[in-house]
Amino acid sequence: MRITSLMIYNQLAGSLQRSMDEFARLNEQLATGKKIGKPSDDVTGAINSMGYRLSISSNEQYKRNIDQTNIQLDFTSKIVSSVSDSLLDLHELASMGNNAQAQEQRDFYSSEAAQWRDYFLSLSNSKLGSKYVFSGQNTDKPAFVYNTTTGKYDYQGNTGETKVLIDDQATATMNIQGSRVFSFALTDPLPTALSDGTPVQYTQAADPVTGINTVTVTIGNAGDAGYDTFSFSNLMDIANVMSSSWQYKGIDGNSLNADAAVSEQMAMHRIAALAKPLDDARIQALNIESEIGSRQVLVNDQSTRLDSSTLSFQNSLTKTEDADMNQIATDLIKTQTALQAMMQSASRILSQSLLDFLK
Amino acid sequence: MYLFGLFNIGKSAIYASQTALSVTGNNIANANTPGYSRQEAVLDVSTPVSVSGGYMGTGVRVAGIRRHYDNFIQSQLLSQNQYYGRSQSLDSAFGQIEQVFNDSGGAGLSSPLADYFNAWQDVSSNPEGQTQRTVLLQKANTLVIAAQRMENGITGNLKSINGQIGDTVGRINTIASEIAALNERISQAEGSSSSGSANDLRDQRQNLLNELGTLTEFSSNEETDGSVNVSMGMKSLVYKGNTNLLSVQTDENGDKMVYLDKTDITSKVYQGQLGGLISARDTIENHQLKDLRKMIASVIKEVNLLHRNGYGLDSSTGNNFFGSLDLTIQDSSSGADMTASITDLSQLTLNEYDISFDGSGDYHVLNKDTGSEVATGAYVSGNPISFDGISVTVSGTVSSGDTFSVSPLTTAIKNFGVAISDYRKIAAATSNSALPGDNSNALNIIKLSQQNISNLGSKTYANYYEGIVSEIGSLSSSAADSLLFDQNMLTDISNRREAISGVSIDEEATNLIKFQRAFQAGAKMIQVTDELLQSILNL
Repeated sequence: MRITSLMIYNQLAGSLQRSMDEFARLNEQLATGKKIGKPSDDVTGAINSMGYRLSISSNEQYKRNIDQTNIQLDFTSKIVSSVSDSLLDLHELASMGNNAQAQEQRDFYSSEAAQWRDYFLSLSNSKLGSKYVFSGQNTDKPAFVYNTTTGKYDYQGNTGETKVLIDDQATATMNIQGSRVFSFALTDPLPTALSDGTPVQYTQAADPVTGINTVTVTIGNAGDAGYDTFSFSNLMDIANVMSSSWQYKGIDGNSLNADAAVSEQMAMHRIAALAKPLDDARIQALNIESEIGSRQVLVNDQSTRLDSSTLSFQNSLTKTEDADMNQIATDLIKTQTALQAMMQSASRILSQSLLDFLK
Repeated sequence: MYLFGLFNIGKSAIYASQTALSVTGNNIANANTPGYSRQEAVLDVSTPVSVSGGYMGTGVRVAGIRRHYDNFIQSQLLSQNQYYGRSQSLDSAFGQIEQVFNDSGGAGLSSPLADYFNAWQDVSSNPEGQTQRTVLLQKANTLVIAAQRMENGITGNLKSINGQIGDTVGRINTIASEIAALNERISQAEGSSSSGSANDLRDQRQNLLNELGTLTEFSSNEETDGSVNVSMGMKSLVYKGNTNLLSVQTDENGDKMVYLDKTDITSKVYQGQLGGLISARDTIENHQLKDLRKMIASVIKEVNLLHRNGYGLDSSTGNNFFGSLDLTIQDSSSGADMTASITDLSQLTLNEYDISFDGSGDYHVLNKDTGSEVATGAYVSGNPISFDGISVTVSGTVSSGDTFSVSPLTTAIKNFGVAISDYRKIAAATSNSALPGDNSNALNIIKLSQQNISNLGSKTYANYYEGIVSEIGSLSSSAADSLLFDQNMLTDISNRREAISGVSIDEEATNLIKFQRAFQAGAKMIQVTDELLQSILNL
């Protein structure tokens, strides 16, 4: 093939261009630390790293959800454990005041019970931030309010659960409804008589909307002098009944009976009849505490799993898109050497001309 | 034989050497002129005279000046230029569009979309919180801005591609006129003198043809009078000294179409920069731009459908989260008008439709994406035509052959916006009685991000978007590969052309010496003859 000087010039210019191109590519990788600057650099890699990045971002979101869940569960757990502790105290108070007492002592017991009642109410209306945690989904309302007409405490929440995603599929429930902590169902066997042999009957009905279980207690036989019936649906109601009973009164503030002796007996029967509900309430609270505990174990396990999956996604991301600095440094030297060699040979060839020898 | 004949032989040697030196000089001078073909003085013995005992030479003559030129390589170069031009256009167009989808460079839709759904997650973990809701509205606005920036990036590029098509057509017209002018000069020069071809004019014309090759696809043939005829898309662009100029017309989409001799030849131009620009424009419009719009339209549709079912903190329901989708109508009718509305969002396929009216008074609704007819029947004037959740009404008189196209995509991104400004209207709850802690509607919307969307070919948003990115990434990387390949091919063919037609300085230097010596020898010849004459005169 006939070679002309222009061909050599063009070849030189082309090689220079290619080397500079390579330098620019390597330099960009060095500067950004990434080997994929745009999708066409490595289509599969770019798509994969997009997927990794999405997974990392959703893992982080799930972690945030788990953190939120943990905060609320921790908060709820502390309250529920206060409830179960308090119930123990209330139970003790009931057994201590289970017989006829002097007026001052009854006043003391009555005010103690009233304090527990108010304490339960404040616990049930606990707020985390701006939301009432025991109101189900109606978190803008206090869970329980005192109803001045009935003298009872009404639940304003519902049975709704607040669930958050902790995985693409799995959800965790953040809240415990107030109707489960402060209201409860009596468990079998139900006693049929008090310790003094007076027959007692518990009937219960659950409201499907609120989840509140209303228990009606009937003491004695119909027609008896001390025949009595009363109902409660939550811990505040129980404490309220106890508090008024020690005053020988009903929750409406009226004496239980015109006869003081009958009144006293009825009051003591009421307190005795509340022993079983207090026990069950405490067991319920303990059950819920352990339920919260197992939920926390679940979300924390999930959190650990998310951490390790994030780590592996990050590793894959690094492998896919991060530049190998050693490789780049080696490539850089290779390109440099090639460029120098080319320049040297070009300078030798280009400086040769017949014209130099013509005199 | 006369002694004076020796003078003539010497003179012819001097003349021939002088001519050869001129040619050599011209070669050296044009060593770096692009497209220049090396020339050579062709020397021949002049007609010998008959003497007793045979013929005797009478010196040398210049038979012609030959241009070193290979037709085969030239035609290869011409077609390689066309490939190269196309690759250049595709590479630069796809390279720019790719940047719009460059998620690793911070652009793109992948993370704004993920952030939007993540913000819903934060709302779900605290449905009563104002902060989370406000953040959600912000993230939604970020998504809107990102999508609109991407669309602007694409349409901006399309605009500049259309501009380049106009410029290229202008340049092609200039070249065509120059070729026609050169055709005339070449046919005159070669027709009037018997001395051979008009080498330098031919080099000029070849240069223009090469440039035309990088610009567009064409075919050419040489007439016997030396003119070259050029045609594009089976239509004549240059015929001898005449030209038919290209013109550009803008169609209803704002795209520039190329016309030659009143015929649309746009689809017939495949190679060259013009062909590359047209292909890139059509690909980007029908794939990247449309796919992106479809994805956003789907986000609007699915989120709104779910959001309407939910309740906001203020107990409001039936609210759209994003501004509703609009239908765009393209009217290709003689005198009718059409209005269209979405009657059932959930039925919407997010495909585009053609509605046409035939001679027998029937209408036909064609789904352009699937190619199937979705509705047909006798058209009753004034009655609405319903299909796939869309209802259209025609006003005015419909005549046979009228067509309309209906698209829910055209303005999907342009009109994309967050419809609610009050954070309380974000419908995280499915039940009005469970406010404000109910987050089940938020959970439904979050699930969209993992769901296979039937309108998007049963892909999740992330997968669909990955599809768009991988398509443009592949287009861009294969365009870069073709560019490199065509460049190498071009260099190779250019080298082969150079091997034949290129000027070698060393070779010319040798020629310089050769003809210098020949000239000197010729001059010596005359001197000797002179001396011979002198000696005779001195007798």
